[in-house]
Amino acid sequence: MSTIGLETPVGREATAHHEEDTGFWSWITTVDHKRIAIMYFVAATAFFFIAGLKALVIRAQLMFPEQTLITPELYNQFFTMHGTTMIFLVAMPMAVAFFNYLVPLQIGARDVAFPRLNALAFWIFLFGGIYLNSSFLVGAAPHASWVGYATLTSPEFSPGQNTNFWLIGLSILGIASIMGGVNFITTIINMRAPGMKLMRMPLFTWMTLVTSFLLITAIPVIGVALIYLGFDRLFGTVFFQPAGGGDPVLWQHLFWIFGHPEVYILILPAFGVISDIIPTFSKKPLFGYPIVVYAGILIGFIGWGVWSHHMFTVGLGPIADSFFVAATMIIAIPTGVKIFNWLATMWGGSLKFTTAMLFCVGLLAVFTVGGLSGIMHASAPVNLQQHDSYFVVAHFHYVIVGGAMMGLWAGLYYWFPKVRGRFLDETLGKWHFWTTMIGFNLTFFPMHFAGLFGMPRRIFTYSAELNVDIYNQLSTVGAFIFGISSVIMVWNIVKSWRSGEPAPANPWGAPHLEWATPSPPHHYNFPRIPTVRSREPLWHKQERDEILAVTMPDPEEEPLMPNPSYWPIVLAAAITLSWALVMTGIWWVIALGILPVILATFMWAFEPAFPEGHGH
Amino acid sequence: MNVKKVEMVFLSLCASMLLVFLLALFYSAYGMGMHLPGVEATVDPREVRQTAPFDEPGLREVGEGQYEAVFLGFAWGFQPREITVPAGSEVTFIATATDVIHGFHVEGTRVNFMLIPGQVARQSYTFREPGEHLIICHEFCGAGHHLMYARVIVE
Repeated sequence: MSTIGLETPVGREATAHHEEDTGFWSWITTVDHKRIAIMYFVAATAFFFIAGLKALVIRAQLMFPEQTLITPELYNQFFTMHGTTMIFLVAMPMAVAFFNYLVPLQIGARDVAFPRLNALAFWIFLFGGIYLNSSFLVGAAPHASWVGYATLTSPEFSPGQNTNFWLIGLSILGIASIMGGVNFITTIINMRAPGMKLMRMPLFTWMTLVTSFLLITAIPVIGVALIYLGFDRLFGTVFFQPAGGGDPVLWQHLFWIFGHPEVYILILPAFGVISDIIPTFSKKPLFGYPIVVYAGILIGFIGWGVWSHHMFTVGLGPIADSFFVAATMIIAIPTGVKIFNWLATMWGGSLKFTTAMLFCVGLLAVFTVGGLSGIMHASAPVNLQQHDSYFVVAHFHYVIVGGAMMGLWAGLYYWFPKVRGRFLDETLGKWHFWTTMIGFNLTFFPMHFAGLFGMPRRIFTYSAELNVDIYNQLSTVGAFIFGISSVIMVWNIVKSWRSGEPAPANPWGAPHLEWATPSPPHHYNFPRIPTVRSREPLWHKQERDEILAVTMPDPEEEPLMPNPSYWPIVLAAAITLSWALVMTGIWWVIALGILPVILATFMWAFEPAFPEGHGH
Repeated sequence: MNVKKVEMVFLSLCASMLLVFLLALFYSAYGMGMHLPGVEATVDPREVRQTAPFDEPGLREVGEGQYEAVFLGFAWGFQPREITVPAGSEVTFIATATDVIHGFHVEGTRVNFMLIPGQVARQSYTFREPGEHLIICHEFCGAGHHLMYARVIVE
């Protein structure tokens, strides 16, 4: 368990003998999971700034009562797109960036199971995100909130293309998520290195597996809901229209059956990240590894049985409400178990507070606050006082920003040296951490009070009578500090990418397989596949020596990797186009739009995946 | 299985707490008759303004110190805008929506339900202290959402 970073050969510059093509077109056609991961991260960060700017406008509008900085209609578009973007275009793809980079490296594979499908998923996500945001260019951005409750989204009450952009955009993004889920499940189940049993996998890979199962089971539910809604809007059906015998509550059920597992899709990757980082900087194996794994799986399962706690005010009746109260309280148990496991891992460890570790500890603190307010609204009678107030806004920002995003930022500082071969600047990193902590808490903590004093959420402005000015002013100041922290993060990434301090192969003395490769790894990851004998292969001297002897030397002949391909980006463009044409509501235009998809799929199918002369 | 005594104590404490909470839940529901709001009735949203009691929204006295307040929520307002009741009276709110989903929260009380077009919601509350309560729509309902409120004045 010593710092082995010094014993292993340094950076890739020293050993590389094969120059990879790094031009523009090589990125467009790449099927390398590491490059796709970088593109995911960059795109998600760009969307983070787009959605963050909207949040700043919202906060400016709410700083004083009765303000009219923007119109109510634009305000509605901003908060709708803030929520939609942050969830579907920031938190999810940023987690997928980590899945992509790390899963093959952590399990000892050369790539994911379906490299071209992986590229396709990325391009669909990017085009879907651009399509969704392009609604602002035509002045018809979605405006019915990220939950899009019926009947506010019906053609009668939301005429125009606004809601069509939303439902088609989410449908496109859903395709990418399902592809990602299938790809990672197959990769993790089939492509582990010899000896990498399931119960030896790093926690991050475990949580990727659980999240992937949630993705392929939850996304189809919202897919169904969106298709119903699309038919209601474009072809005159009445699934959610009470005037025609439909039921608006059906939308809420379908949305939240997806929506609650979605919360765990956001948080579990972060749990995986910090379960890998905390042991490294405590110099102790993860406390109760199997329990942490089982707790993650349990969260995945119970996450399916809690959706109606979003709907206590609907009037489902006491029996249904009691069931969902109980299920919601139960799901707090595995989450609490994990918190205690991380604390126990740190207990008595030799702690090292790098920026990555600070973000982990920060997550433990603020996520627990969000968890506690979650238990408060799990109780139906308490929920009735808080439903759709700012208290709820405070709660879910504490779990999503304080949980999911903090975890991913911890991962950024931890794995950046692997990706680039250079460290992120630790001084800027600490600035990033502290401005995040201060800005974040100043923004969202006062919202608890604003909510309890009666401020409803999704409100364009409020009257001075409500006496919530001071809380809103604190939140606005906090939001701008939080904005500055994000600029510091990007500045740090740009600066360190160019001129950061060079990093060795295993700079933190970490135990997992991804650190047994040069920084950055070869495009084929491992010249030969190592054999694993324990959960912390690099922390046992003999095992480490054997693994490094396999993974570090340059091979005589480079392993065969799949060809780059143009078809993923072409097919993604065709799929996005075909969905966008649904907006016309004209059946033959929609039918024609499917042709390019079929064509691109055929071209893809007949393109050889590997270089000439190498069957597979 | 070898379980330490202190762990056994801890586990039994947790288990008995869960049991107490569960019993309290059943007692409050069946012993004390405390119920969460459920669906009272359904109504055709196209004809709600012609259907009793929503053809005449407002306050009516149904017994000594007992009132029924019939409310309609629509984009963007409530009907009636204001009701006045004497302190100590029990008010049963009966409400529905005519168009999209709205919220109905009487600030400072536990009266809080969703107004769903096609469904009638009902909840009672006793206003003991004189004062003024804002009724707000907390369920996002479009561009005029922030304008949607009414008042209960307790004299």
